[in-house]
Amino acid sequence: MSAAERPDRVDFLDKVTGRAAFISDLDVPGMVHGKVLRSTMPHARITGIDIDAALSMPGVIGIVTGSDLGGIDPIWGVSLKDRPLIAIDRVRYVGEPVAVVVAETEALAEEALDAVMVDYDPLPYVTEAAEALAPNAPLIHDGVQPLKDFYFKGEAKPVAGTNIFQTYAYETGDVDAAFASADRVFEDSFDFPMVYHYAMEPHCGIASFGDDGLTVWSCGQAPTAVQKVLSRIFDLPIARVRVITPLIGGGFGGKASVKIDPLVATVAWKIGRPVRICFSASESMLTARRLSATVNLKTAVSADGMLQAKSVEVLMNGGAYADTGPAVAIKAAIRAIGPYKIPNLRLRSTAVYTNTVPGAAFRSIGGPQGVWATESQMDIIADALGIDPVELRYRNMLKRGEHVRPDLTPIDVDMAEAMGLASQAMSRLDAQEPHRRIVHGTALGIADPANSPVAGVLLRLKIDGSIAVISSSIEVGQGIREVLCRVAAEQLGQPVAAVSALTPDTAIAPFDWGTGASRSSLMMALAIEDAAADIKAQIGDIAASTLGLDPARIELVAGGFTADDKRYSFADLLHPYFGIDSGELIGIGRISPRSRGGALAKAPLFWETAAGRCGITLDEDTGEIAVKRYVSVADIGRAINRTGAEGQDEGAAIMGLGHALFEELIYADGQPVNGTMIDYHVPTIDDVPAQFETVLIENGGGPGPGGMRGMGEGAILPIAPAIANALATGFGIRVKQLPLTPERVWRALQDKKDR
Amino acid sequence: MRLAPFQLHRPTELHAALALRAQFGDDSAYYAGGTELLLALKARVLRYEHLIDLKRIVGFDRLARDGNDLVIGPLVTHLRLATDPLIRESLPAYARLSDNVGNIRVRASGTLAGNLCFSEPHADPPALLCLLGASVTVHGPNGERSVPMAEFILGPFTTARADDEILTAIRIPLPTAGEQFCYRSFGHLEYPAVGVAAAYQSQAGAPRYRVWIGCIGDNPIHAEPVEAALAGVPPQALSDVLPQAAEAMAAELPATDDIYGSADYKRHLAAVFIGRAVLESAGMPGGR
Repeated sequence: MSAAERPDRVDFLDKVTGRAAFISDLDVPGMVHGKVLRSTMPHARITGIDIDAALSMPGVIGIVTGSDLGGIDPIWGVSLKDRPLIAIDRVRYVGEPVAVVVAETEALAEEALDAVMVDYDPLPYVTEAAEALAPNAPLIHDGVQPLKDFYFKGEAKPVAGTNIFQTYAYETGDVDAAFASADRVFEDSFDFPMVYHYAMEPHCGIASFGDDGLTVWSCGQAPTAVQKVLSRIFDLPIARVRVITPLIGGGFGGKASVKIDPLVATVAWKIGRPVRICFSASESMLTARRLSATVNLKTAVSADGMLQAKSVEVLMNGGAYADTGPAVAIKAAIRAIGPYKIPNLRLRSTAVYTNTVPGAAFRSIGGPQGVWATESQMDIIADALGIDPVELRYRNMLKRGEHVRPDLTPIDVDMAEAMGLASQAMSRLDAQEPHRRIVHGTALGIADPANSPVAGVLLRLKIDGSIAVISSSIEVGQGIREVLCRVAAEQLGQPVAAVSALTPDTAIAPFDWGTGASRSSLMMALAIEDAAADIKAQIGDIAASTLGLDPARIELVAGGFTADDKRYSFADLLHPYFGIDSGELIGIGRISPRSRGGALAKAPLFWETAAGRCGITLDEDTGEIAVKRYVSVADIGRAINRTGAEGQDEGAAIMGLGHALFEELIYADGQPVNGTMIDYHVPTIDDVPAQFETVLIENGGGPGPGGMRGMGEGAILPIAPAIANALATGFGIRVKQLPLTPERVWRALQDKKDR
Repeated sequence: MRLAPFQLHRPTELHAALALRAQFGDDSAYYAGGTELLLALKARVLRYEHLIDLKRIVGFDRLARDGNDLVIGPLVTHLRLATDPLIRESLPAYARLSDNVGNIRVRASGTLAGNLCFSEPHADPPALLCLLGASVTVHGPNGERSVPMAEFILGPFTTARADDEILTAIRIPLPTAGEQFCYRSFGHLEYPAVGVAAAYQSQAGAPRYRVWIGCIGDNPIHAEPVEAALAGVPPQALSDVLPQAAEAMAAELPATDDIYGSADYKRHLAAVFIGRAVLESAGMPGGR
């Protein structure tokens, strides 16, 4: 295929033609199928599991329960060691795996599920965070062990004898004095619901034990974390656990850290054959969700609108198992600060266990929760002081190079520029339909990605000039393979069509922390930069020793290099060097906190930012909001694949639109009541604003090649508060709870009438 | 979950289908579009050893005018009803309703007959069909009978059709000249929380309005008090009478709190959409 025919992304043709193979398409020789029987109780002792009838059903090979875990470590976690591989004597939420039926086919396994009889002795349960904090609340765990630096850097701080699994506190300045002397103090409480990731591909995995150890085909976003957790469970050397990650159909954090691989591998271990387990969408809804939050803000302001002190108090509902909730709780508090100069700052965060689906990372962990609160309150303050909300933001805005918090790296973008561009773009959209009455709202968001600067890449330059990029970055729909190809092509001066990005496989790919936290494009670009330098050095050495050329005069060109006006192919170099007309050069790029003179160790490595401005209409009779226009602005430093980057930004904004208007996992009597894709509405193309513009600023200034930053998680931050702010501006109602359902908005309108 | 195993039968004429049902009894069920049945089978809420597929029965895809009636066969999908010129011209309000059912996949395979037999209380069609004076024809072992639409839906997931009967036709009398219809529904989930069907007929100096309310109760509700209050009111004067009549009616509706909304909100929605549907049927602004 010629360069002109090459699609925008290396994975597009396979995906649009249906050739692309996802895990559920794979068939491992000897493979059998598992189906999960799930708890119907929010909290209960398991008093008995009768598997006899199911075992005798056609095609059933075996059934795995919590009594089958002898010889392996049955408890795992990534922040706290709190989670059984499969329920052991006790269930902690509706949907928790209680038994896995394994059969020759998926259909036969499913047929036998109903025949497994589980007896429960119900225990008192809690589904709300506030209930879980009550002095007489049932304890959901008897004691859990924090795992220091296990996945994220740091350690959770649970409180023994309570349901609290994380506490976080930070303070700078004299907050109490600032509150005592302030002209005005604003106190508001905001609620953010549990929401589901809804990746189009539910969780799935295949595991196989053999003489060479354990191999899993995993949908996990962090293959090396999966590898490490499995090595601990089965007491296998890490090098004997192989994690292969084919194309994945979306993750958004729902497949981050470690999710279903321990269960899949345990079943394969017990059954003694390769086992495939693929969840349905409803099962995935019972696997992970965003942590719900109540965020209490207290903000001191001078009469002219200058922020003087802010206290952020976050309470998060983390579900039955902590997962990465401890990190989410910290980030929610930090991401509630905003891009503003606040001299006195107090952050407090608490995350608790409840008898609900485990909370987990989700696109900008803690970000939408914190930004929803802060950016709503900025408009409350502006309204009370009679200052235009955009003006209030300008007055308090941090300039590039100023500190969000003294101990964090200064903000590295110009947020005033981003907000200005959002207003300009909206004015252009308004001018296209000037007669229509539209109400506008603005919000900003900033987040400090946990970039974990530990990454690596191999570049293999073949004698014919083709290049393979080997990394652990998974293609989850975000377009990383195209980014890998483009950066490698650029760094080695080769056409992008010469480059392939291989399927991640921990057996050959260098260690990488994982795909998430807006880090892969950036970390891999840095690693590729180093790996390409390694290859160039090798070419120079070989050219000097074999061809007698001066390395300083070598310049890479398509298919080879030039030196002293003479053109050489890579074969011209490697054939005489190896003696045969075959071979390759391998470049290694390794990123650590010590790389680039320690510059990559600073936290955050860059700020991920977004400005959003919406234009809405409201049907005041029904309370239904229509978002007619939306502008999303982000300074990403430099785009590697512009259409891909715009797609990421648009996707994040529309995902945020779902959080704003529709999405909420609802519990009643300990049961999730809308846990299907029929009852839980995610945005469809009909919900996308008719006028929708993404403005990506390429000002450089980021830590990657050409000044690039990571991106893809920013635009989810401002859209919900922007819409709520428009509601307040246009209709005089302040709704502090998401989602902004028609009934909730209508009720706020009624309350206003009654006042 | 996936479907439990079953045997599929594909008769090509009505009596063969009835015979299969007689042979297998309650272990069998009729099946057409499958948009409701297959979901229930996958969720294992229902289970049958035998499915009797009606899709090959000759003539069941009929959509035609028969005298003063429109006749809709049991295989006619929502998509056909939304796009067929006969419906678009003679009953544009019904074509619009059909165009708004579920999503394109549901419309393309789901049939109106199946929708009615399933009797999901939040379905759109029943209220408008009641308003239009439709009737359904069912065939059973003892022959054929006709049931007025208003008597067909007995409650959630319950109809006047016996399990061994096949709904063979929906008959809608063609509207008389000068009668205009409108159907409006609203909800923030997959199914509507409330739907209102309204008709306006201008008879020499005596305008007549008819209103049915769907989705909010167990079956469509005939809003006779609204009709009485509006009788004879010219469209231009509706604003003097309609809001009060709509609110009085809505206050009496049997709404309950559920995921579609709280009872008071749904009653309010009913009042709003009674107003909008009536105004739109009468060609007045404000119907939005």
